[in-house]
Amino acid sequence: MPSIRSRSRRRTLRSCLAALVLTLLAGAPLHAQVDTRPVEGIADRTPQLTAFVHARLLVKPGEVIEDGTLVVRDGVIVAAGRGAKVPAGAARIDLGGKTVFAGFIDPLSAYAQPATAEAAPAATGRRGASPSTPQPQAGAAYWNPRVHPQDDVAATAKPDPQAAEKLRALGFTDALSVPQRGIFRGQSALYALSDAAHGNDALIRARVAQHLAFETSGWGSDEYPGSLMGAIALVRQTLYDARWQQQRLAWQAKRPEAERTAPNDALAALAPLAAGRQPAIFATDDELDYDRALAIAREFGLKLVLAGNGHEYRMAPRLAAAGVPVIVPLTYPEAPAVEDPDAALDVELAALEHWRWAPYNARVLAEAGVPFAFTAAGLKKPESEFWKRVRKAVADGLDERTALAALTTQPAAMLGVADKLGTLEPGRLAHFVVADADLLRGDDARIYETWIDGKRYRQADPAAPDPRGAWNLAWSGGSGPASLEFRGKDGEFGAKAGGESFPATQDGARLLLYMPGKLLGSARERVVVVAQLDDGALDGRAELEDGHRLRVHGTLAKPAPRALATLPAKPPLPSEPLRFPAGAYGRNGLPQQPAAVVVRHATLWTQGPQGVLEDADLLVEKGRIAALGRNLKAPSGALEIDGRGKYVSPGIIDPHSHIAVSRGVNEGTHAVTSEVRIGDVLDPTDMIIYRQLAGGTTSALVLHGSANPIGGQSQIIKLRWGADAEGLKFKRAPETIKFALGENVKQSNWGDNFTTRYPQTRMGVEQIDLDSLLAAQAYGAALKAGHAADGGPLRRDLRLQALWEVLQGERLVQIHSYRQDEILGFIRLAQQFHIVPTFQHVLEGYKVADAIAKLGAGASTFSDWWAYKFEVRDAIPYNGALMTRQGVTVSFNSDDDEMGRRLNTEAAKSVKYGGLSDAEALALVTVNPARQLHIDKYVGSLEPGKDADFVIWNAPPLSTLAVPQQTWVDGRKYFDRADDLAERARIESERAELIAAALPERVKALAHDAGKKDADKPGGAPEAAPSLLQGDELLRRYAARRPIYHDDEPVNGCTDAESH
Amino acid sequence: MKTSLSLLFAALLAAGAVHAEAPRADGTVLLTGADLVTVSHGTIKGGELLIRDGRIAALGAKVDAPADAERIDLAGKRVYPGYIAANSVLGLTEIEAVRATNDMAEVGAINPNTRAQVAINPDSELLPVARANGVLTANVVPQPGKSGVIAGQSALVKLDGWTYEDMTLATPSGMHLFWPEARLPAWLPEDFRKRAKEAAGKKLAALDLAMRDARAYQAAKRAGTVKTEDLRWEAMLPVLDGKEALFVHAESSADIRDALAFAQREKIARLVLVGGQDAWRLADELAARKIPVILGTSQRLPLRRWEAYDTAYANAAKLVQAGVTVAIANQGESQAASNERNLPYQAASYAAYGMGEDAALRAITLTPAEILGVADRLGSLDVGKDATLFVADGDALDARTRVQRAWIRGHELDMANRQTRLYEKYKSKYEGKPRP
Repeated sequence: MPSIRSRSRRRTLRSCLAALVLTLLAGAPLHAQVDTRPVEGIADRTPQLTAFVHARLLVKPGEVIEDGTLVVRDGVIVAAGRGAKVPAGAARIDLGGKTVFAGFIDPLSAYAQPATAEAAPAATGRRGASPSTPQPQAGAAYWNPRVHPQDDVAATAKPDPQAAEKLRALGFTDALSVPQRGIFRGQSALYALSDAAHGNDALIRARVAQHLAFETSGWGSDEYPGSLMGAIALVRQTLYDARWQQQRLAWQAKRPEAERTAPNDALAALAPLAAGRQPAIFATDDELDYDRALAIAREFGLKLVLAGNGHEYRMAPRLAAAGVPVIVPLTYPEAPAVEDPDAALDVELAALEHWRWAPYNARVLAEAGVPFAFTAAGLKKPESEFWKRVRKAVADGLDERTALAALTTQPAAMLGVADKLGTLEPGRLAHFVVADADLLRGDDARIYETWIDGKRYRQADPAAPDPRGAWNLAWSGGSGPASLEFRGKDGEFGAKAGGESFPATQDGARLLLYMPGKLLGSARERVVVVAQLDDGALDGRAELEDGHRLRVHGTLAKPAPRALATLPAKPPLPSEPLRFPAGAYGRNGLPQQPAAVVVRHATLWTQGPQGVLEDADLLVEKGRIAALGRNLKAPSGALEIDGRGKYVSPGIIDPHSHIAVSRGVNEGTHAVTSEVRIGDVLDPTDMIIYRQLAGGTTSALVLHGSANPIGGQSQIIKLRWGADAEGLKFKRAPETIKFALGENVKQSNWGDNFTTRYPQTRMGVEQIDLDSLLAAQAYGAALKAGHAADGGPLRRDLRLQALWEVLQGERLVQIHSYRQDEILGFIRLAQQFHIVPTFQHVLEGYKVADAIAKLGAGASTFSDWWAYKFEVRDAIPYNGALMTRQGVTVSFNSDDDEMGRRLNTEAAKSVKYGGLSDAEALALVTVNPARQLHIDKYVGSLEPGKDADFVIWNAPPLSTLAVPQQTWVDGRKYFDRADDLAERARIESERAELIAAALPERVKALAHDAGKKDADKPGGAPEAAPSLLQGDELLRRYAARRPIYHDDEPVNGCTDAESH
Repeated sequence: MKTSLSLLFAALLAAGAVHAEAPRADGTVLLTGADLVTVSHGTIKGGELLIRDGRIAALGAKVDAPADAERIDLAGKRVYPGYIAANSVLGLTEIEAVRATNDMAEVGAINPNTRAQVAINPDSELLPVARANGVLTANVVPQPGKSGVIAGQSALVKLDGWTYEDMTLATPSGMHLFWPEARLPAWLPEDFRKRAKEAAGKKLAALDLAMRDARAYQAAKRAGTVKTEDLRWEAMLPVLDGKEALFVHAESSADIRDALAFAQREKIARLVLVGGQDAWRLADELAARKIPVILGTSQRLPLRRWEAYDTAYANAAKLVQAGVTVAIANQGESQAASNERNLPYQAASYAAYGMGEDAALRAITLTPAEILGVADRLGSLDVGKDATLFVADGDALDARTRVQRAWIRGHELDMANRQTRLYEKYKSKYEGKPRP
């Protein structure tokens, strides 16, 4: 053993040795599997029968056998129990004092996967040149390069002994090797983490699961899908295609004369998934993705496993109800940057709360009854972080048995290998871990060995004496400290004696202590004491100056207990309660719906036949308006609101909005994307919902953007802040779809790179609309016939399906338009196909208002925006009034997060510009948009029977000085200025408390970073600062995929480049 | 011709929105019967105001007017001093998306010599639209380019005149420094943030160097050793000498704090903060140092998710409460320029959330005039000031109110503009009139 001088040198030596051992072992055949490979050289006929005795066996979570015997034959467990018979001829290994756990399984590993770069949007390079035409691919692939379910990890992955060793060091014996890229990413394979070089030897099971993710190409790319909703639509269409492919092939098998069906390996590979035999492991980015994956799983009958993202605790009851297992990462966030008060302002409360709650994630899931497994995926430094975080979870109250299950039986069950792995029961593979009993509790607990397929991988000798604990020392030939304490693990201890701490290392029974010389009366800085350990005793010596020798005899007075200490009482959960949305202004469920509410003595702007009622009452019962008038009799117990001096109006309806959308409002990659659905990607955590409620807005049409001629399906919502995505939907409202004309769809303002996608002119736009509707007609005919044109099974085409619904009058068209020529052109098209759309923006609508009126179409315009691009040069604020006078149903919209909260004053401008009456003006943002959206049966005016969606103002609603005091939706009070003021105080105090709590951890991290910075200062010139043009472009791309809980950066505004 | 003109006139009266009467030669005019909202000293109910030689010659309940004065009966109307758009790019832009029409931002970091005045297009279609709602004066501010820091000199112009020289009331009206933005969206990836931070660092370094060089130039100039003038540092001299105000554009708390520290370090005598979305967080310091604020639009969302929904709205009231001088303006953006007319409604939101109507009105009239150093000529209805004023049929802060007539320096404006012309044109279509 060479002398050891420094920590770093010690490490180097250790790893060299490890490498050497590895090399020696690599050639040795394994005996765990029967195979057909010819033997080269001399056969290894070593008997493979081993009995592990005197071990504490954790047979499975909750089942412990003290002093048990585990018998392993040919890599398989054949017996486990107290007093299990040791078969004749078995090798005996004494594991006295140690605990045997079933091997841990990582169900979401990148093991044996090639390293992949983060899917960052490209800063430069070709973009948009020819959208939607991917390069030809080899093989019979799916048309979209992100769909490659046929990829089979087992066929391509190579066992990686070095990576395996790192995972084994954590106690993992098996890992699911998971494909990392794509939407349908391919099929994973379960590998034993042995040092086998051949896939045959390590592969436990191939094609374990299909892996899915909502991966997108990002804004400005030419690759479909560029948005979350596009990714979801693609998943859906692919699964329909897989079904269809099977039907078509079966049909064709009986009809040799039918047109050949193109082969498609991708669709064929989806058969086991579609049949529910193969699990679908769905990656998620945030807490809203669970519902999206669950919805797809429900629609297609998939056997779902959710790959979580660390926010599962926020949705625990929902996950429990879904009964779907979850793979939980241990990615607790670092303490937020709160040290600088100015910078701390930018730390979102939801982020602070997440910092606090993240370690409780697993506990919350366990208590909710959600089955889950842990993964080390996502950890930057699993070697130091993994166990620390598992133990943190346990310390924070996660039941230890559940934690163990999350490492063993749960992943085994999820991956369909519960009969092979996860417990120590007979018949299971002998994949197990020898460790200290307190592995899940104590940071000093050691893993000594992992056994895989009958082979031992040792990290530490379990038989080596354990010096940890308190020692009494007796010195001869000099003096030294009378007592000593060893702490630490893995052969690297901290020792403490005479008030000094110093390192010590162990190798088997040999112990080296690097004592400060002064403890031994020496002038040297360090003196090495070499000691031999023997059953609770040590004998050592040291050489001092002049060859003077010092001897020491020690006795272990108090061994550090490796047995289980009783766990401290379960700590309470964080005091910041879980709200939805998390952070500021979050709620505990929806606001109450009182049985009856009556607003007394207010001025009611009904926007209905009753006009304006002075000093009148509004009675609401069970969420609906019951009556309006003077001195109304309210049911007893009705909530009385004093409306004196107040004004009540219907809730404002924004008929053109892009609020509350996750990861992209445009699927702008293809010219026609009618298959994508805003309804799939609603973001109920978007703070703008609450802020618009505070401006009196209660409903909105959330539209797809206008980047392409036929965009996506839009969604009418109510601003039910606190509801989930599904709860935002205005369920009785009709389906809608966005079409668009003009500069955006012909990419006029996108820069010089966007000049090749069809269409580039208004001429082409007209033709692509016509062509698409003709295709939809043909599709509809096939739907009616029940089969394709050639008699074969009809392929469900979601793109055409939506357009067919348009032709059936089941889906309202919103058509983004500016110039009179394109408006008129669409009017003619609409007449041809019997469509009655609502024109959006329609800024030159005043020029053809008669034609719009004749079609019966609606017009939704800005009050006064103009001049921001060429096609709005002729926009005038009189547009609304002129169209109104021609009999068009006109609304004003925002197309802007900020303007969406003051539409009342936008409407007021129509009084000035064109002379509408007050009632006509307010109608522009209440009953008129309701009519356009066919929801005027329910909302838009204060009339008995309609939903109780109303606003209480402190001034007439058209006044620029009017401030909403309360906003009600469905008879529930979603906004109250008084409550809001109280909530502010809560937010301030919670922030202050969390920032104070985070600060110490943050300071520690900063000190650590500062230390590191000195060590590895990068050399060379710093990277050139980006040109800001590039910066702006990148910014927009990142903005399109910004995560939830974002600030209200104005990225969804209606500017030329953003194309809404 | 006559017929069509009178028809047009009739139509205009019917619409009640615009006043297209051919402007008369500037003469002596007596406005009678209107409520005079003086801003400086309350409202004179049903008063009289005499315009002579381009100025307000008299105002009060009753004033002496020469016999030949044109008397205009404005009973039931209100007269206001014209709004001052204190942070605008009117005249420098026409259509945001059409690059050729934009002259707002020069390239380079340090452009103190750039003058907005010389690029103002008097025939921009945007100007008459702004005027039509009472915005009669604009401080036209050069904007920073992608790497811009000191963007140049603004010019205060009346929105009427044959040439930019005609229009100019004051130039330079200030030097404009755009504080490099340190605040970035939280969702930006680390490397992007790093690079953006570096870019901001470069700007700060450029600013630092510019200040040093300008001071060196100032010293050389005093010593008489300058042979050929350096346009940039020559332009900085009035700022260094404390004769010209430095307008620092900054929004977030960190940026404002840094900008204030910079001004102190550099001993900037006259400092104005522009934008100031977080200004309320530093209200006490701004008040103590008597730094006036030209607050940006109220029509914006809070910077941060956790902040109260009315954070932007309440900003003005909090500043005023702390004793800060507050003017209200728009953002100096192309898109804001096309709707500079909405300035009073932005003020109204500040009014509604605590500032009060009188203070809000002052913040778009007299206070910006004070900050821009033209309070002797603009900003209120007072004897001796320019007759730059408008007539409205109601409370001007209310979006329903129509501005019906306006004068700039005693010259009555044609209230027609591109938008009213299109309105009339297509209105006549539906009235079955022959195509013009």
